[in-house]
Amino acid sequence: MADDNYPREDDIGDEEEELDETSYKSIRDAVLFAIEVSDSMLQPRPSADPRKPSQESPATAALKCAYHLMQQRIISNPRDMIGVLLYGTKLSKFYDEDEKSRGDLSYPNCYLLTDLDIPSAHEVLDLRSLVEDEDKAQDVLVPSEEPVSMANLLFCANQIFTSKAPNFSSRRLFIVTDNDNPHGSNKSLRSAATVRAKDLYDLGVIIELFPISQIEHEFDTSKFYDDIIYKASPIDPDAPAYLNPDSKTTDAQDGISLLNGLLSSINSKSVPRRAHFSNMSLELGPNMKISVSGYLLFKRQEPARSCFVWLGGEQPQIAKGVTTQIADDTARTIEKWEIRKAYKFGGDQVSFTPEEQKGLKDFGEPVIRIIGFKPLSALPFWANVKHSTFIYPSEEDYVGSTRVFSALYQKLLRDKKVALVWYIARKAAGPVLGAMIAGEEKVDENGIQKFPPGLWITPLPFADDVRQNPDAPLQVAPEPLIDQMRTIIQQLQLPKGIYEPQKYPNPSLQWHYRILQALALDEDLPEKPEDRTLPKYRQIHKRAGDYVLSWAEELDKQYEMISASSGPKSTLAKRPAKDKDAADKAGPPSKKIKAEANSGDLQEEVQKHYQKGTLSKLTVAVLKDYLTTQGRSAAGKKADLVERVEELLETK
Amino acid sequence: MADKEATVYIVDMGKSMGERRNGREVTDLEWAMQYIWDRITTTVSTGRKTAMLGVIGLKTDGTSNELQDDPHFSNISVLSEIQQFLMSDLRQLGEQIKPSNTDKGDAISGLIMAIQMIITHCKKLKWKRKIVLITNGLGQMSSENLDDIVSKIKEDNIELVILGPDFDDPEYGTKEEDKDPRKAESEALLRTVSEQCDGVFGTLEQAVSEMVIPRVKAVRPIASFKGFLQLGNPEDYDTAVRIPVERYPRTSVAKPPSASQFVLHSDLAAGQEGPESATAIPETQPEEGRALTSVRNLRTYQVNDESAPGGKVEIEREDLAKGYEYGRTAVHISETDENITTLETQAALELVGFIQSGQYDRYMHLSNTHIVVAQRANDKASLALSSFIHALFELESYAVARLVTKENKPPLLVLLAPSIEAEYECLLEVQLPFAEDVRTYRFPPLDKVNTVSGKVVTQHRNLPDDDLMDAMDKYVDCMELVDQDEDGDLVDTPFPIEDSFSPVLHRVNAAIRSRAIHPNDPIPPPADILTQFSQQPKHLLDKADRHLKKLIDVADVKKVPPKTKGRKRTREPEKPLSGLDVDALLNQEKRVKISPHNAIPEFKQTLAHAETIETTKDAVKQMRSIIEDQIRHSLGDANYDRVTEGLGVVREELISYEEPSLYNEFIKELKEKLLKENLGGDRRELWWLIRRSKLGLIDQRQSELSDVTEEEAKAFMSAQ
Repeated sequence: MADDNYPREDDIGDEEEELDETSYKSIRDAVLFAIEVSDSMLQPRPSADPRKPSQESPATAALKCAYHLMQQRIISNPRDMIGVLLYGTKLSKFYDEDEKSRGDLSYPNCYLLTDLDIPSAHEVLDLRSLVEDEDKAQDVLVPSEEPVSMANLLFCANQIFTSKAPNFSSRRLFIVTDNDNPHGSNKSLRSAATVRAKDLYDLGVIIELFPISQIEHEFDTSKFYDDIIYKASPIDPDAPAYLNPDSKTTDAQDGISLLNGLLSSINSKSVPRRAHFSNMSLELGPNMKISVSGYLLFKRQEPARSCFVWLGGEQPQIAKGVTTQIADDTARTIEKWEIRKAYKFGGDQVSFTPEEQKGLKDFGEPVIRIIGFKPLSALPFWANVKHSTFIYPSEEDYVGSTRVFSALYQKLLRDKKVALVWYIARKAAGPVLGAMIAGEEKVDENGIQKFPPGLWITPLPFADDVRQNPDAPLQVAPEPLIDQMRTIIQQLQLPKGIYEPQKYPNPSLQWHYRILQALALDEDLPEKPEDRTLPKYRQIHKRAGDYVLSWAEELDKQYEMISASSGPKSTLAKRPAKDKDAADKAGPPSKKIKAEANSGDLQEEVQKHYQKGTLSKLTVAVLKDYLTTQGRSAAGKKADLVERVEELLETK
Repeated sequence: MADKEATVYIVDMGKSMGERRNGREVTDLEWAMQYIWDRITTTVSTGRKTAMLGVIGLKTDGTSNELQDDPHFSNISVLSEIQQFLMSDLRQLGEQIKPSNTDKGDAISGLIMAIQMIITHCKKLKWKRKIVLITNGLGQMSSENLDDIVSKIKEDNIELVILGPDFDDPEYGTKEEDKDPRKAESEALLRTVSEQCDGVFGTLEQAVSEMVIPRVKAVRPIASFKGFLQLGNPEDYDTAVRIPVERYPRTSVAKPPSASQFVLHSDLAAGQEGPESATAIPETQPEEGRALTSVRNLRTYQVNDESAPGGKVEIEREDLAKGYEYGRTAVHISETDENITTLETQAALELVGFIQSGQYDRYMHLSNTHIVVAQRANDKASLALSSFIHALFELESYAVARLVTKENKPPLLVLLAPSIEAEYECLLEVQLPFAEDVRTYRFPPLDKVNTVSGKVVTQHRNLPDDDLMDAMDKYVDCMELVDQDEDGDLVDTPFPIEDSFSPVLHRVNAAIRSRAIHPNDPIPPPADILTQFSQQPKHLLDKADRHLKKLIDVADVKKVPPKTKGRKRTREPEKPLSGLDVDALLNQEKRVKISPHNAIPEFKQTLAHAETIETTKDAVKQMRSIIEDQIRHSLGDANYDRVTEGLGVVREELISYEEPSLYNEFIKELKEKLLKENLGGDRRELWWLIRRSKLGLIDQRQSELSDVTEEEAKAFMSAQ
């Protein structure tokens, strides 16, 4: 039976991962936003930057954050749930209850805007329209005259989590408010709220507070919220706080920075959803073990696979696939225990018992064992096969792990060393050799951590994984040419000379979901994707253009010199050395001697035939060469090629 | 395509090969066969139809070859013509190979026979030809027409390998004392032949010992991209530049062969009853190989339909359209729009900008690596790329580039690093993460501690003190991996990549080959060479011993006894940040009965305040009825997740309060009710979920106070 609701292994390569032994929980995250609606929360805060006028209020900023998180999660964690609950509203809504229903309201002044669930396209749209459409906002975003009871709000959230997200490994209530003391000195309301907060704590719901300072008043958590928020180890005040200990107060006076501040602090609340492995022993030497947990902080995000949709109902519905296994000979259904694994060998099968099969991959208990150390500079750039795993100490199995780990981390960082490790990630995972590298903590301009401090294990290739370089005859560039190129490179440094992944969303992934969203909402399809990976052509031209031209001149000069000296034997020397087209300064493709025409000629020739309408007279080889130089696919039959060339030239 | 191969093995099967010599445990023939089987099974494992081999038996009792009428060719049998070897051929050969009762038979004639077979088979076509001769040299050899043989071997470009037990090999260091003069003579003769046709002549011991060094399969480089390295946009700017380049893999993980799923033929399987007997299948491997039939996956599709019985209906595959999920909305994509979500791109390697290599963190490498070289036979491109490589190198920079390998493939961001060797220059390329590929989990600093109370401290039990730092410093320095060169000087060695072999890959391959020839033998253990890097080198440990002891001493790491993990009885109740005593407030509220709407918190709180076992028992009883109600009223699987959560909480709490029997009693009765359909009908799916969530009996491993053994707990879960 196939069921998608339960932990799926992140890492496709390691399919054989078993469930965490202690966990009966489904590895998913449910986030419920509780956004206060009050006069001050609705008070727009104008932008300080006159070029970017905006009328962002704390409440709309919070809704935008929820909208943003929703979109992000649809892509990154399509099984996570998000809901939005407004409180302090004039209106009340809780499932089928609202003002019009009979009887008392269970949760007055609580308005469940988006139910806690995997977001649907319409919920995304509703949320967006609330943010963008003022009329709509005016219906809902109206503060109540009565103060809302926090106890009631917390129990409302409790009920939502209990019924909608049972058994989730992570459930969090995000409270966004600027009111640091909702109940003043009313003791009974306060104590009711603290009791309901304890209920949530016992239910396993974590309350995250996103406090916003009022214009004239700094948010003070000690007035009320310190009574309802719990931290990992409250007994021991010296215990290290694992996640950002203090909720960072957003106290920006202008709307844009308010929004950005809120976004950044919400992003900072991503929890390690699941350790890749936990409490693994890290052996520094014989009889010297500490425990560490591993996390995958880098993982290629792929678009979800396509699925089958049934259109026969009122709404399109995803069809759930169920796989049954049958024997090839009689088509009878097979039970799992009957299955044996065998290898194809010499036209027959070589089979092993399940125990033997397991034993083949068994090289001992999971471990990270340090074999020795080497300088970081000895690690070749190319010695890489996949993403690295981040490790961080845990005190669970060995008390004192953290200080030893810290000492090792500091030593490796300071002396730029790496450890060579024998690494078995899971039982029967197959050992790899890895380089264990120290990574320093990196923070952004708001002081929020971008990369954590810790050690990284980079799996190294085995001899079997290393490919030989193809032969490539070498023409070493002479100094003047290198000098020219150096200037070009110096002109085109990325900001601060570093690569920041956060600046480059994956264009095809974003496009994929952008289109899906438009289709789901029946919107017009967007015309042009936003692709931040495209080079900034204008800037390149402006900054380096002249240098490129002068480099190209130098290249021609140098090339003439070597072609002259290499004698008449070289077929290359026969080629016309002058290129008209600067774009092809570096020379034409001419792998095959028969296709010696340089690409300037190639372009002209194709162009000529195109104008005469005789493209089909060109040979397939010429068409292919041309298409390749244009970065287009050269696959298919001749007719396809001709069509593609026509298409290409039409747009020019 | 790999070249076609034809190899003929000539095996000396003479009576004398059946003897054990020089203290070896195996006979000479068995010893020789270790080598031959290794070679043959390596060829078989490629599964290539064009990798063919033949086998000739030398000094066989009978004679069976096409020249058998010629007395020169007596006692020589062609055991297998040149062909693709399959399992059946292996089995047949295994039966034929045994020592004969004679020592007659001329190795040189065997050689002629092999040459003849190759000529007949390969004609003048392009083949890789090879002859492997193994003999102990104890037999008559005629040296007639040797020149003809040599010239034929050279003319046809046949690779010749001659091996023998205890052949003298000064290079390897073998010298047999009191060698039989006949053998010495044969050895001399064979050595001459081998030398004359540039062949290999060696001692068997060396060949067998080298078998343990795994053979790395060479893969012919195939370009993964051919196009242009571009700076700027040539469509819009005349200052753009394009260098024709090719991209090849530098690393690519070699995967072990994957096993396919099989079951016993249905008529054979009929005799089996349950999982227990599955392991008791008779170990007659070769026959069983043929008794297996493959497994097919049958996929059916269901959609929810409230009006249907069971809430689900099956839909034919043809009636389904293609689509995607957007959140929980199904988005249908018609066939004509199939590529609508594909981003249109054009193949190119475009430079985005440059970064400082010193600022780059190596752990950002996301993929295997490639190299980028200039287009072949294009000197100008080579010159241009070389200037780029050198400029990067001199500036200590890397380039960030956008790579699209084929039209409409998703763009990748890659990092390009210069690589300059004496005779080779290229760019090394690795993929970089996009924004979506980074998970921002946060961890506290490792060199200071921010306490919950908001202080920053630098002295803490989680931070190393100076002694620990010092001990670590010395230990790490002492464990530096260096080798000694011939003069005894320490030299830096590169990372052990060239001589480290994938343990699983070679283990699986070796096991398959071993099982193929010795179906009834247990699998041999992994070769030592595969685990050579699994332990610290001894010489380093000896050197660092003192520092390690010191490190262990000052680190003072203590193993946590398993029992104290998660024990609750004595623990203080959790308090909020302010330290407010919420329990006092809870006590005021007096929650007598656990409300089904707030069951989990109230259950936990009741247990925390329970002063007598009766209170605990009562709380569990209340939870039972709440959970059973949830099951009874569950529409289909609607409440199942809540039920598992409830069970999980009860189980966890009772383990930490050391009352495992209360849970065990509960789950036993629940199982019975579920299977007897006492809780609202067929609830087998829920039982299956409970099994998968591992919510069965608490055994002794999980709680010392449990009277359930691990086996009992396992049986409880597996029994239907």
